[in-house]
Amino acid sequence: MAETAEGVIGKDVARIDGARKVTGAASYGSDFALPDQTYAFLVTSTIARGRIRHIDETAARRVPGVIGIYTHRDIAGKVKAGKLMADGGYLGTSIQPLTSPDILHDGQIVAVVIGESFESAREGAYRLDVAYERQPASASFDDASVETVAASEASKTHEDPKVGDAETAFQQAALRIDVSYSTPTQHHNPIELFTTLCHWSDGKLTVWESSQNVWGYKYGLAEQLGIDPNDIRVLSPFIGGAFGSRGSLTPRTAIIAEIARQLGRPVKLVPTRDQGFTIATYRAETRHHVKLGATPDGKLVSLSHEAWEVTSRPDNYMVSGTKATTRLYQCPNIYSKVSITHADRNTPGFMRSPPELPYLFALESAMDELAVATGIDPIELRRINDTQVEPIKGLPYTSRSLMACFDAGAKAFGWHERNPKPGAMRDGDWLVGWGCASTMYPTAVAPAAAKVRLMPDGKAIVQTAAHDIGTGAYTVIGQVAAERLGLPLANIEVQIGDSDLPPAPVAGGSNTTASVCNVVAKACDRLRQQLFQQSNAASATDISGMPLDAVLNDLPKDGIEAYAENLPHGTTQEGIGKLYHGHSMLAGGSELKDRIQFAFGAEFVELRIHRLTKEIRCSRLIGAFACGRIVNPRTARSQLMGGLIWGLSSALHEETEIDQASARYYNDDLAEYLIPVNADVREVEVIFVPEEDKAINDLGIKGLGELGNVGTNAAVANAVYHATGFRIRDLPIRLEDLLAVES
Amino acid sequence: MSGIHVTTKINGDEVQFVCEADESLLDVLRNRLGLTGAKEGCGTGDCGACSVTVDGRLTCSCLVLGAEVDGHDIGTIEGMAMGDELHPLQKKFIEHAALQCGICTPGFLVAAKALLDHNPEPTETEIRFGLAGNLCRCTGYDKIVRAVQAAAEEMNSAKKIQQKVA
Repeated sequence: MAETAEGVIGKDVARIDGARKVTGAASYGSDFALPDQTYAFLVTSTIARGRIRHIDETAARRVPGVIGIYTHRDIAGKVKAGKLMADGGYLGTSIQPLTSPDILHDGQIVAVVIGESFESAREGAYRLDVAYERQPASASFDDASVETVAASEASKTHEDPKVGDAETAFQQAALRIDVSYSTPTQHHNPIELFTTLCHWSDGKLTVWESSQNVWGYKYGLAEQLGIDPNDIRVLSPFIGGAFGSRGSLTPRTAIIAEIARQLGRPVKLVPTRDQGFTIATYRAETRHHVKLGATPDGKLVSLSHEAWEVTSRPDNYMVSGTKATTRLYQCPNIYSKVSITHADRNTPGFMRSPPELPYLFALESAMDELAVATGIDPIELRRINDTQVEPIKGLPYTSRSLMACFDAGAKAFGWHERNPKPGAMRDGDWLVGWGCASTMYPTAVAPAAAKVRLMPDGKAIVQTAAHDIGTGAYTVIGQVAAERLGLPLANIEVQIGDSDLPPAPVAGGSNTTASVCNVVAKACDRLRQQLFQQSNAASATDISGMPLDAVLNDLPKDGIEAYAENLPHGTTQEGIGKLYHGHSMLAGGSELKDRIQFAFGAEFVELRIHRLTKEIRCSRLIGAFACGRIVNPRTARSQLMGGLIWGLSSALHEETEIDQASARYYNDDLAEYLIPVNADVREVEVIFVPEEDKAINDLGIKGLGELGNVGTNAAVANAVYHATGFRIRDLPIRLEDLLAVES
Repeated sequence: MSGIHVTTKINGDEVQFVCEADESLLDVLRNRLGLTGAKEGCGTGDCGACSVTVDGRLTCSCLVLGAEVDGHDIGTIEGMAMGDELHPLQKKFIEHAALQCGICTPGFLVAAKALLDHNPEPTETEIRFGLAGNLCRCTGYDKIVRAVQAAAEEMNSAKKIQQKVA
């Protein structure tokens, strides 16, 4: 497909890495192989709290092909624990296994067995005899030994958004909703396992590992291993799903690197699926208490959102979604408070829309309850409370098209045909339910750097250490370069996923497209400037539309190069220094002093619930989204569709179950951790609501990768209510929750 | 280590390898033969990322031992395109954006091809259930179904034209 330069941004083009992905040629972490490589197999703890009493290596060492067994006796003192990203570090946990005999959570790494083959390492691991001194462990909220603290006490930077006097207004309100909700533990479960391949050569370390943050990994590993970051290279050209799980460094990487250093040979780790449940991060379970006070005509007078989140014993990890839920609707009196509960668990981490997914479930379910209480249509209730001014600080949104999304979605869905009475819509033996909810996601943009090189043959190479976690980053970066340079897309080679390239921020918070495309555009513009200044065409005043053909012949053999850095709104020069130390200075959302940056959308769900079996099927899923300029409608649509299905999954399928007595997960495989298959997902429709936001950044881009899966869970729960009259406030909703529905 | 000598056909070519008794076909493909298109997502037959065909039958290569395929024909993603010419399924997957991160894509394609080989004109429901053994976490559901439908249509119309010409 030959693409002309003109208008490549915004064009519906297929992803440029597609051919490599459909032929098996795209190489992910464990697809790389090195001569003389060894294989690692992890041994993980079978207790959640206690101490390793004894490790007997005799039987394991007898397995043919086993060449090494590494425990805390070999690693302690060689690998340092790191700090959490939120605390200025690079890691997802401060718990560093193998630095002591202590066990702080289920499935903690207690040993690594190295073999000449994967099978010998595995056999050795199975034969390693680890004896524990077991102590009682607390699993979650209801355990007596957990410790709950206010987030504002745990973290100096935490703020609980508040305005007015929510409690008095609630007591005086004509209509009151006072309800509690909960969301379960969930695991990212990217299909690519959490693999790592490490190789040392001349004192330099190369790591092949799927990462959303290659510069962060480089600096984090340097700290943990006590070496110069310039001696570390992290390679991550293709990433087999991430969803936040590869944003912060996990403890396994430094361990594997250290073993490779001690062994003097490359080490490849391919952990099992169940080990992935405990050696990486997860979405912690949350609880919510929402109080809404309103006038009889649906105007909110009081909004209170109190929430609790689980974290590990040592870390104050929190997502604090009240930053979003206190900024969705106009309301003069708002109260919010977040608390965290320390249990004997591994530290949770970012999982697709970390704060918004659980927190908007609570608010958007409560709004539906208010709609029922007032007798106002759920969409109209949101219109009544819509605002262009953020209610906490009175700041303007750079753009907010929530109601335009509701109108477009309602039209496509046929919402006007909805009979509001629960259980009134039927299709044979199926009860039909229609539900809707708002979605919102902060637009954050981070400092980034990029290099562009133009060759005499008219081809260009773009280099930036960004990440394509399946989102289409390769393609949108290529599109921006093609348009800004004035070249066909086929002439652009995009190089990303390599920490030797100019730094780009973590692929988190849906910032990549905005952060990276803006800096790539800058580098391309600079390159054109250099080009035309050098050539005879310098006399021309406007070079933006000038074709490159005339000047290509004058280029040196190895072409010319331009480099650019970008500091988005709300960041300072300090951001570049941080970027060059593996830190991403994300600015936006509700964190700016002068304005508020969010993308919005409206989601509609049609459910069918069988009157006898209570089987729940989603027959239609429609999302209408306004997220600034769309660089590539095809990859953007994929992101939003995937998000909608994630949202559906969070409502009806996913839950990691914990044995309360042992604080251990028990459905830690893909047979019992339910995620949808094609047969579970029917019609999915994405509508782009046009939105121009010139203020947000030069290219007008908002992030959308995490917008699609927010609110969907509430829309599903609201549809369940509409179909059955049953309000289910605890996710996931399973058919056993509906057994009492009258058939 | 003794080693078992295995003679097989992979994507039409005769291949011989030596493996241990406890090595899965997936590990033989990936670790011994450098065919890394089949991916490991679970090792327990739940995700379908390691899908190959054994004598035309869709198989999770993580659930078969390397030693078991002696004398059998294996088909992997690496054999789907004819040189640079992509198979209609591969083209339609790209066109319909039926892939995102791409880790499940080889498995989906192998499964979709096995489905169409046995049932060239599947209904939408047959496609959805035919691919229910493959997980896509990104998630490309629906688009995957549309891509398979489009590929089946193109392959069938090409076949009809060929029949007419003949």
